[in-house]
Amino acid sequence: MELITNPLSLLILLPAAAGLALLLVPPEKEGSLKGLALAAALLTFLVSLKLYTGFDPALAAMQFQLDKPWLPSFGIKYFLGIDGISLLLIMLTTLLMPVSVLASFSYIKESRRAYYACLLFLEASMIGVFASLDLFVFYMFWEGMLIPMYFLIGIWGGPRRIYAALKFFIYTMAGSVLMLAAILWVVSAHHAAAGVWTFSLPALYGGALTAQAQFWLFAAFALAFAVKVPLFPFHTWLPDAHVEAPTAGSVLLAGVLLKMGVYGYLRLAVPLFPDAARVFAPWLAGLGVVGIIYGSLVAWSQRDMKKMVAYSSVAHLGVIILGIMAFEPSAVAGAVLQLVNHGLSTGALFLLVGALYERRHTRLIEDYGGLAKVMPAFSAVFLIVTLSSIGLPGLNGFVGEALILFGSFRVYPWLAGAAVAGVVLSAVYMLGMYQQVIFGPLRHTENKVLPDLSVREWLYLAPLLVFIALIGVWPNPFLSRAQPAANNYIALSKQRTAPVTPEVKIALGGEETR
Amino acid sequence: MIQEPLSYAASALSGPLLLVLAAFACLLLPLFFRQLRGTQGLIALGATLVAITFYRKAPPAEFSFFCGALLLSPLSAYLWAFALAVLALVLVLSIARPAAPEESQGEYYFLLFMAATGLMVLVAAGDLFTAFIALELLSLPLYALAGIRRSKPGLEAAYKYFMLGAFGSGMTVMGIAILNALYPALTFTALKTGPAQPLALAGFLLVISGFAFKTALVPFHMWVPDAYEGAPTQVSAFMAASVKAGGVIVLWRLFSLFNGGPIHAIFWWLAVITVVSANFMALAQKGLKRLLAYSSVAHAGYLAVAFFGGQRGFEAVLYYLPVYAMATIGAFSVALLLEKDEKGPLIEDLAGLAKARPWLAGAMSAFMFSLAGVPPLAGFFAKFYAFSGAVNSGYTGLVVIAVLMSAVSIYYYLKVTVIMYMKPAAAERPAEAPGMIEAVIFLLAAGVILAGLFSRPLLILAAEASRWF
Repeated sequence: MELITNPLSLLILLPAAAGLALLLVPPEKEGSLKGLALAAALLTFLVSLKLYTGFDPALAAMQFQLDKPWLPSFGIKYFLGIDGISLLLIMLTTLLMPVSVLASFSYIKESRRAYYACLLFLEASMIGVFASLDLFVFYMFWEGMLIPMYFLIGIWGGPRRIYAALKFFIYTMAGSVLMLAAILWVVSAHHAAAGVWTFSLPALYGGALTAQAQFWLFAAFALAFAVKVPLFPFHTWLPDAHVEAPTAGSVLLAGVLLKMGVYGYLRLAVPLFPDAARVFAPWLAGLGVVGIIYGSLVAWSQRDMKKMVAYSSVAHLGVIILGIMAFEPSAVAGAVLQLVNHGLSTGALFLLVGALYERRHTRLIEDYGGLAKVMPAFSAVFLIVTLSSIGLPGLNGFVGEALILFGSFRVYPWLAGAAVAGVVLSAVYMLGMYQQVIFGPLRHTENKVLPDLSVREWLYLAPLLVFIALIGVWPNPFLSRAQPAANNYIALSKQRTAPVTPEVKIALGGEETR
Repeated sequence: MIQEPLSYAASALSGPLLLVLAAFACLLLPLFFRQLRGTQGLIALGATLVAITFYRKAPPAEFSFFCGALLLSPLSAYLWAFALAVLALVLVLSIARPAAPEESQGEYYFLLFMAATGLMVLVAAGDLFTAFIALELLSLPLYALAGIRRSKPGLEAAYKYFMLGAFGSGMTVMGIAILNALYPALTFTALKTGPAQPLALAGFLLVISGFAFKTALVPFHMWVPDAYEGAPTQVSAFMAASVKAGGVIVLWRLFSLFNGGPIHAIFWWLAVITVVSANFMALAQKGLKRLLAYSSVAHAGYLAVAFFGGQRGFEAVLYYLPVYAMATIGAFSVALLLEKDEKGPLIEDLAGLAKARPWLAGAMSAFMFSLAGVPPLAGFFAKFYAFSGAVNSGYTGLVVIAVLMSAVSIYYYLKVTVIMYMKPAAAERPAEAPGMIEAVIFLLAAGVILAGLFSRPLLILAAEASRWF
């Protein structure tokens, strides 16, 4: 019963059950398919509101905990719980899901039943990743998420969808399998030290692992998360996947899936292996900054709007990685807020590009121009979202970026300085794109008859716009929830768990037993 | 107290005895009663179902019978249940689509039952010599079954399988002869306590190679792709699930005689070579049955990795076998459903399956993702258990290689789903009414989906059984 009454567990089970129920609806009943999918997504959002109201921002501890034994012989438990970071990310997921469903109504014309079921399964596993406190359960959701996303890209995607879907799956899987080996190692080391089998994160935090072991384990975890973030040079799957995915797929990829990588650092890699994290942090922050500059430059040279937004994600996530690797309260809290901001603004950008694509079936910047005359409402919304993405004060992007840059400047002055250059570049390419698409003469006759935003499009854009403005002027409700969790993360990262004796061998060769 | 083992043995042994009786019934009755011709399948299935109902939970003790030749314990009960279940599934497939020509129906079921009996004796064997006899009882019928259609691919498969299998048997006999000189008793307990000598090592190596042939560890896997491809698909499914199980159990018994040392080093290398080469060779396959054959070789490698986990590893092996069997029999059933000639469908023949038969494509994807080890399917849990034991015993390097190779395997398993979902069909598929093969497929698909998330019951059974080897 607790499985249903606990809101976190309900948030995982509800979309999964709704996805299963969808599969039973006859495929020709288009209306009821759409209605059921939207109702399930909205209902999930309503349930998540209960998390928001019931959450105590003052506490740093995990809240809404559910701890049920699952596979006791291995010490695996269905252990859920959230802090401020997970709360914000879960809320982001549940907010983006009805938006994605609504945005797919006219775009998806084939096998709708499977499509909406995939979306809902994806939602269940994404929430599962953010809510689980058991390493095994985390890994299960982390990998399980690949199946629905793979089908979303591969079946309903663009012309190169097969390549993109395979690349997405294999990249992410190859990055994650070493994490599985590392998880097994951590758990068995804990078993050797404490005599109990457990995959529970709080129990594994602060385990006495040698510095050398931590190095390899952190590397295995960090690789999995770096692929997902994606950190330069592990980002090459992202442009393909984003461009080929259907609009809703891109929204969820950018809005939620990329966040899972950052979340992995925040929740697993750094707190589990703090000594190694300190060694790796400057390098990861450096890779983040390389990603900012590289992503911005590549985005600048794109002619395809969706590709540009995709590369801008590489840059934005680079800023966030810089923030979390600074271990500085305002930078980490800013990074958490920026996770939400990026989800909102990039999600909205993909939706807008998708709306244009549905009208004209092209995403090339040069095929547009002068849209301000025919689509004034669209142009206004596009402007707000663009400005939010480049971090204009008064909109959400500014708060997060400013906090990250101020905070990380104290730790990595040079890297933060270089990151500012990247932020400036983002203004250059985003505004350049905006100008070419919206202003200027109406060069193409086809564009003269484009209809402005429809009611449905307003419906799915409005919630995002509300939050873009709200976080911009009043970030406190969000920051105050993120801050205790961020402080907790910093405290965990400051622990020195490695025993002082440095000369301990780890049995990586396989033939020696510990 | 004397009463109990005897009464238990009577009921437990009634299973294989019934199979032998039914085998002869299938072979002989239709010769005398003309009207029974064509019903052999039903007789066989009925007998198997009766054998399953005879199945009784084993008391928690090990009884040895026939001077230690047979060991009855919860372990043998677990594996016999597994063997009967595999047999029943293969029988349903064979009834739905006969694998043998009309006039060989009787022989077909006779041979299948003999092979199943051989498997049951093999997993319960208490000494090496019984294990060898049982192995032959398992293998010889399968050589004949592979070629039962007397067609060219079938005969080729049977010939290759027989030649290499006979070679493997020869090695086993040689090894047993050497060991017999040193350990007159030849029981597994006696082998464990004997002195270590170079000659004994040679004997063990020969025996291990022989059983590695059956389990299909590289480099003893050469027969697998041809045999799986050329044999009737129902027989391939039986081979993949059962021969592997029998070989793995005996290999585990041999492995656990030692505590480290050269034998373990050899197993380490066998496991590494198997997972690496099988996964790379599978990448190039075009035929679905060949793909499944290489996948079966790769899974033998993962099972060998699990050996290093000690008791936990064996528990994982016992969980792994039914999970693997479900996925692979399911995938072979899909191949059977779609095959037009004897070599089975090519992977590209699955194009457009998702459009024409979405549920079938969904089930096939479940099998593929389970074989690949993607959560939340059962195959992931099986791999997880298998690897966790090995990591716990300090064999992290081995597990790292195995997980990397299972990332490679993703590519060829995904290729199947790509073809089904993302490529248009070459020709319009005729709508077919679902039959018994579909029933088997959906039953197994439900199995691979549920046995992972709800793996506790099966895991408890496996843990209980693993204590009695």
